Amino acid sequence: MDNFSIVGKRIPHRDAVEKAKGSAVFASDIKLNGTLHGKILRSPVPHAQICNIDISKAKKLKGVKAIITSKDTPQIKFSISPTWADKLILVDKVRYIGDEIAAVAAVDEETAEEALELIEVEWEELPAVFDPLEAMQPGAPLLHAAVENNISKTLTMECGSVAEGFAEADLIFEDTFQTQAQSHCSLETHCCIATCSPTDDVKIWVNSQAPHPLRQKLSAALNIDAAKIHVATPFIGGGFGSKIDLEPAQAICVLLAKKTGKPVKIEHSRKEQFMTTRMRHPTISKLKFGVKRDGTIVAKQAEVVMDNGAYNSHGPAVMAYNNVMFSTLYRVKNIKYEGRLVYTNKNWGGACRGYGDPQATFGQEVMLDVIAEELDMDPIDLRLKNANIPNEVTANAVKITSCGLKECLTQAREASGWIAKKAERKKYRGLGVAAMLYTGGGSIGSGFNYSGATLQMNADGTLHLLMGAVDIGQGSNTILTQMAAEIMGVEPETISLTTADTDTTFPCMGTFGSRVTFCAGNAVIEAANGLKQQLLENAADLLEANPNDLEMKDKKIFVKGSPDKAMAYAEIGAASFYKKKKPLVAHGYYNGPEDVSPEFDPATYRGYPAPAMVFGTHLAEVEVDPATGKVEVLNFTAAHDLGRAINPLLVEGQIEGGAVQGIGWSLMEDLQFENGEIVNPNFHDYKMLTIKDIPKFSPLLIETIDPDGPFGAKGIGECAMVATAPAIINAIYDAVGVRIKELPATSEKIFKGLKDK
Amino acid sequence: MGSKHRIQITVNQEEYDLLVHPDRTLLDLLRYDLGLTGTKEGCDEGDCGACTVIVNGKVVTSCLILAVEVDGTAITTIEGLHQGDELHPIQQAFVDSGAVQCGFCTPGMILTTKALLDEIPDPSEEDIKHYLEGNLCRCTGYTKIIDAVNMAIHQLK
Repeated sequence: MDNFSIVGKRIPHRDAVEKAKGSAVFASDIKLNGTLHGKILRSPVPHAQICNIDISKAKKLKGVKAIITSKDTPQIKFSISPTWADKLILVDKVRYIGDEIAAVAAVDEETAEEALELIEVEWEELPAVFDPLEAMQPGAPLLHAAVENNISKTLTMECGSVAEGFAEADLIFEDTFQTQAQSHCSLETHCCIATCSPTDDVKIWVNSQAPHPLRQKLSAALNIDAAKIHVATPFIGGGFGSKIDLEPAQAICVLLAKKTGKPVKIEHSRKEQFMTTRMRHPTISKLKFGVKRDGTIVAKQAEVVMDNGAYNSHGPAVMAYNNVMFSTLYRVKNIKYEGRLVYTNKNWGGACRGYGDPQATFGQEVMLDVIAEELDMDPIDLRLKNANIPNEVTANAVKITSCGLKECLTQAREASGWIAKKAERKKYRGLGVAAMLYTGGGSIGSGFNYSGATLQMNADGTLHLLMGAVDIGQGSNTILTQMAAEIMGVEPETISLTTADTDTTFPCMGTFGSRVTFCAGNAVIEAANGLKQQLLENAADLLEANPNDLEMKDKKIFVKGSPDKAMAYAEIGAASFYKKKKPLVAHGYYNGPEDVSPEFDPATYRGYPAPAMVFGTHLAEVEVDPATGKVEVLNFTAAHDLGRAINPLLVEGQIEGGAVQGIGWSLMEDLQFENGEIVNPNFHDYKMLTIKDIPKFSPLLIETIDPDGPFGAKGIGECAMVATAPAIINAIYDAVGVRIKELPATSEKIFKGLKDK
Repeated sequence: MGSKHRIQITVNQEEYDLLVHPDRTLLDLLRYDLGLTGTKEGCDEGDCGACTVIVNGKVVTSCLILAVEVDGTAITTIEGLHQGDELHPIQQAFVDSGAVQCGFCTPGMILTTKALLDEIPDPSEEDIKHYLEGNLCRCTGYTKIIDAVNMAIHQLK
């Protein structure tokens, strides 16, 4: 066992004191003199061509300082990738209820809202389509003129031959699984404040998960030189994927600030947040599995229709991830995936914790339960039989390095009391298991997976760490300073931090793809090792010794065996500034992995280039009330191969939070639409779990020590919710024999299932 | 909008004599008039609990209460719990238990816990869940929040 003094310790979040005192400043708390309030006029109809917008009455309202419409914005479309760009900041054709039409800046919120009511819009309403299967039919209303049958993207991949695989199989299983829209529900809504100087320098304080890419996207969408945009992040109240993409409100805020020369603040109401936050893509997945009698899966196939909503955002990448995660889990030689990403006149889909993986894992892992039952095999044994193993390349050319899937399965079985409870068979109680995999460090599939860090020593010997990475609550500031502190031999809390600021920190792709621990971690390690080397060289010079003969201890450096003649960090720091006039500073930069498979296909993500894959097992114990169909989740075991737990306290928090988000999606969370309108855009009708609904948790940290991870660590953030739904659905079946194939598993569906039995 | 009303309130043991619009919510009064931004706005509909404060010993969602309704009351916000650098034991317990992630729900969670423990010093797990049911958290999954409340109970004994 490695002997670390800081890595691996249960250290509370370094920002927790400020947050517990209420002094942590979030975007909405920033107050600048003369701030104007921006409000956005959103479409009340799902599909229409705008014929005319009359702003004359609104303009006359006292206190209104600026109004912008599509005419005032560059006609440049955006998405996460320029090749998928399909959305204007302010539109002249609306495609969903909530689409941005115009915006007002006024002296206060009330005036801005009043002005919106005075803007007169003439429409030509167009027929709309809400069901992706209908939207694909010839003759369906088209959302984007150039996109035939509303199919934004078709993705086809075959590895091996499924025809041969199915021919070889003893048993064939076919079924269809459906998943619903989920909203991220970060407690903090989107908020930004923008200023524009007389020299046209823009600054925006914004709760973004990806501030550096946001600068690039604002630059592209608004045709402003990126060097003139400064993105700064205050504390961020959660994201879960909702704060990655450029939000039209952010671009609008900049435009209004430019137009008025005043600071402008835009903050989404909770209703706006539900209306416009890029939802988890609903899917319809038709699966076919071919299996040998011994449980070996010889072929698997998925035909997926993914509801894209009105615009692309992350859609094509989410579908590619749906493919990668479906195809890579388990050692199957013959795989086929066919996906269609279909536009509908609804809120757009986007990045949402798991990024297409929860949808893929739900169908696959419920299917495995069906197979296990048919084969009369323990569901865990079936998974062990097909489990991924370390250091192999899968049929779809994904390179796996560290892999603890088997350990996750066996340890979850042990910790949950699976065997004894299965034997006991309490009435209306059931156990369900599901496995998963995901990336543990983003991917260089887009050509980029970068994170930068700078570590400098101040003149007093203290350290300052600058990182592009942004902590949205997951704890990256804490674990990344732990890594630097471990290498430099200091207490982590003594390292001061500057993060996620485009003017002062090296770029970072952002907080998504469970990538920050891995990518920013490797950058921090490189910077810390560089600074340590400089420190030793400087000390050697001052001590007139060889750097190789030196030892570091208690923030002092001395020749081995002579601790009495030590140089303190403070002395070396001061000498570097004032004597040598060469301050100590080192940089680290990660952008990997470098060994991308020659088979990598950027369209399907065959050969998906992740620096590491993570694995996990969720095991749920539920009780079903036969009178109502209500499910109570009693116990939840979550085993995750995370390489190494840099901070077990924080990583348990990630696992528990992710699993609870997953339980919500399994049982009750459902963003519901009627004719394109969300009917539950509030926390009263959109049900998140409360403290009353949670099970007893047993998080299991499986440490496989990844060869390329920082201190062997891999990411965890998104993974924690991926396997939750199938574990619960399988447990419900085990309890009462009702197999739910359309999420969420509401009491009504289970009650109906019980009646129909 | 109507004419302003005069109210006298005590916030975190400091007395205020204020003129407020009849439609001003307590939340906006605290955040924008008094600069106490530790009280958060998560939904503005009384569903999430991020704006929780304590008024005369009872927890309220400040987004649903008008400032004129709290005339003559004593209010505690998150800024009123710690003494300088010394955290209140409940705040310390939230920090030490890993119950704080993004921190947006944290002030409301801590204040609800304060009201709970003032009323029931030794609550059952059911009491804890009953009191905190109105405070939503998306990050933690609540387990470490229950740990924090239990740690605070222990510390306050």
